[in-house]
Amino acid sequence: LRLGTLAPKNSLYHRALLEMGETWKAAQGDGSKLIVFTDGAQGGESDTVKRMRIGQLNGGLLSVVGLREIDPSVSALQTIPLMFRSWEEVDYVREQLRPAMEKRFFDKGYVVLSWGDAGWVRFFSQRPAAAPDDFKSMKMFTWAGEPEQMEVMKALGYQPVSLETADILPALQTGLIEVVPATPYYALAAQFNGPAPHMLELNWAPIVGALVVTRKAWEGMSPAGQTALREAARAAGEKMRAQARTEVDEAVAAMVKRGLKVTRPSAEQMAAWQALAESVYPQIRGRLVPAETFDEVTRLLAEFRARNK
Amino acid sequence: MPLPAETTPIYDAPSERAGPWWKLHRVEDTVLSLVLATMVLLPVLEIALRSTLSVGVANAAALVQHGVLLVGMLGAAVAAREGRLLSIAGLGRWLPERFHWVHRAAAGGLAMAVTGVLAHAAWNFVAVEREGGNLLAYGVPVWWVEAVMPAGFALIALRLWIRSGERVADRALSLAVAAGLLGVATLSATATPVVALLALAVLLGAPVFVVLGGIALLLFAGDDLPLAAIPLNHYQLTVNPSLPAIPLFTLAGYFLAEGGAPARLIRVFRALFGRFRGGAALVTVLLTAFFTSFTGASGVTILALGGLLMPLLQGVRYPERSGIGLITSGCSLGVLIPPALPLILYAIIARQPIETMLLAAVVPAAVMTTMLVLLGIWRQPRDTAPTPFDPAEALAAIKAAKWELAIPLVTFGGLASGLVTPTETAALTALYAFIVEVLIYRDLSITRDLPRVMAECGLLVGGIILILGMALGFTNYLIDAQIADQVSEWVQTSIASLWVFLLALNGLLLLVGAFMDIYSAIIVVTPLIVPIGLAFGVHPVHLGVIFLANMELGFLTPPVGMNLFFASYRFGTPIGEVARAVLPALAVLAVGVLLITYIPAFSMWLPNVLLR
Ligand code: NA
Ligand code: NA
Repeated sequence: LRLGTLAPKNSLYHRALLEMGETWKAAQGDGSKLIVFTDGAQGGESDTVKRMRIGQLNGGLLSVVGLREIDPSVSALQTIPLMFRSWEEVDYVREQLRPAMEKRFFDKGYVVLSWGDAGWVRFFSQRPAAAPDDFKSMKMFTWAGEPEQMEVMKALGYQPVSLETADILPALQTGLIEVVPATPYYALAAQFNGPAPHMLELNWAPIVGALVVTRKAWEGMSPAGQTALREAARAAGEKMRAQARTEVDEAVAAMVKRGLKVTRPSAEQMAAWQALAESVYPQIRGRLVPAETFDEVTRLLAEFRARNK
Repeated sequence: MPLPAETTPIYDAPSERAGPWWKLHRVEDTVLSLVLATMVLLPVLEIALRSTLSVGVANAAALVQHGVLLVGMLGAAVAAREGRLLSIAGLGRWLPERFHWVHRAAAGGLAMAVTGVLAHAAWNFVAVEREGGNLLAYGVPVWWVEAVMPAGFALIALRLWIRSGERVADRALSLAVAAGLLGVATLSATATPVVALLALAVLLGAPVFVVLGGIALLLFAGDDLPLAAIPLNHYQLTVNPSLPAIPLFTLAGYFLAEGGAPARLIRVFRALFGRFRGGAALVTVLLTAFFTSFTGASGVTILALGGLLMPLLQGVRYPERSGIGLITSGCSLGVLIPPALPLILYAIIARQPIETMLLAAVVPAAVMTTMLVLLGIWRQPRDTAPTPFDPAEALAAIKAAKWELAIPLVTFGGLASGLVTPTETAALTALYAFIVEVLIYRDLSITRDLPRVMAECGLLVGGIILILGMALGFTNYLIDAQIADQVSEWVQTSIASLWVFLLALNGLLLLVGAFMDIYSAIIVVTPLIVPIGLAFGVHPVHLGVIFLANMELGFLTPPVGMNLFFASYRFGTPIGEVARAVLPALAVLAVGVLLITYIPAFSMWLPNVLLR
């Protein structure tokens, strides 16, 4: 079994995958082997999907950026800004959508083994900013691999600059970009807090991922191997999700020690953000996220919020 | 990356009005030029729209990146048509004339077989991608563009076959050789016979990409991995967001080299430095270094400047052999001078920010240049009377060349301003060079010269990109088979000291430089040494500078020394003679490499100061 991921070597994600591999190997028996290619050694998310398609890799731990190349419906979990307010909401919607999404993945030749998270995207900026309008004069990073994100940013009235992730730090230093949306964990690892020492405490969007294997690899396993892999993957997914919930706070605390200033939006500013985000929903619905999935998410969230009032 | 055995001058039009197909060939050249032109104009349009209307071209970056794929395949096909795919000049040179048809048919047949398999693998890749169904922009599926790969490889295979001999019998022989290789590869249980045949193909003068691609195919097949991985790697490389900078800067260099820039710049440098003893040497080193940094191909610099600088040196009674040595070695200095193509390529492969890499190279490049300038001055005969400094001439020369002297302002102004990305900077530089040479100086005619220069640039870039893509296939195998990890672990357990590691690194890179061309070396060796360097505490950026400084030596060392081949061709001197002429330069540059290696501050100081 050959898996690809962007997660770094020896990270929690890598260790969880290796641990899962040990359990699976014991059940699958002789000759079974698990290789995890970390740090994007086999390319980015989109490349990993391409390598699964041609059969060079059998699976991968991917975020929505890669997963939506297999089926765009997963975009609903990550690409709609300010749709979700808490992990509970993400979990609820995901659980409801899961059977249908996993069925679509299966029909397209992939088996979803487990779901994981990697934290909330927040804004890191050079100057303090709290209201949506504060950001309009600043140039904002968007990832070159995700042109749709650029369209969303443009629709929001921002000045997106499309770059590769490796260019973020020097671009912040030279002023080519002034704002980076990133998860605190990633911002800490990539040291964005140096040139962009202001963080807006606004959970813009969650980073959601999944561990998938190709159906071909799955069907080549023994029934015992399949069961063991599914169980071990579920345990690994739970571990990753638990981590994602704590690492946001831990990473922010670590950066505050190094001089990060946290800005909390006022209720009024929060409302302005919400209104701004909702103003682009019509453009996201049907283009970035399939219309029916979008409506489904909206309906499920309304249901969840009504019940938890 | 030397010239093919039967060389055509690099400045000849890619296609003469000859042969039954010349009109079709012209169409091909025009398409190639138009794709290049689009790659220049799209980023410029994007900058304009972004800064005025806050909008942009939908997916402009992705469109330009796929332009690299198109230019790469089209350019390589044109290179194959002209018999200009880069190859290691082989045994053929020593064969008697009457046996040439044999080695041509054998090399052609082996090359054709490998390229045919590549076309088939690319076809499989595109078929899978088509099912995936991803869109590029404006509703165009990505696979439409990817389809250029199987088509391109098939066309190259066809052209390799056509060029494999003059007579029907020769071409039948090459076809038989190709069928034989495929047969052996299918039937043989071990890879040994195929490896032997590929080695033979290299010796016979098959193109470099065939050798790299053939080895990659063999390795993937040996591990039961899909061959489609090789075209996938080629695709992955060409659509890298930073790669468009390479063809764009090269195009800028071609406009300059083909326009009147060399003569105007020589005049400026002569007027400024002519009064010093060794002024001519100084002019030679600075100009060759500057030009290579733009064209990215030191061979082009030798061809463009060699004929202008040699008379200058001989005018001050500079010994001929030292002159050849100085020009030949000066052309390799550009490798470290921003915005040199190898610097950008290393940054891409090592995943380092391009800006950091470019800044880090500035001081080391100055060190290497100073070493060579000192050698040049020392070699200058003492009894020559210096030309007196003429302020009026200096002013007139500067005035005449002012637009070209401003080019670094465009390039570095763009990068430092924070208004544009590296790719956009490259596009602006190319557009600026076009405006200067075509519209201001009118050294290049739009109708007569422009198509020729652009097609020529596309041909060169296509040949290089093809090699890069195949080399990445080979590298991907090293990663896939986890050989990179094993090498890294082995080095870390067997070498304890940083100093020993650096010395061993220099030794290894010297060997790599002797046998590999710089582009394959960057792609294959970088992923192996970066993690090891990190384990020893060597910053990837510093490591890159060490690497490229060593590659400068590689240009000058046999058996595969690109500058030696080009200089031998340009000055009509045997390769052995040129190799002896560059020995003193090789010695002083080696000292420079050691300085750069053991004093990290040379590399890290500038980026640390400027990028805080
Ligand atoms: Na060499
Ligand atoms: Na070399």
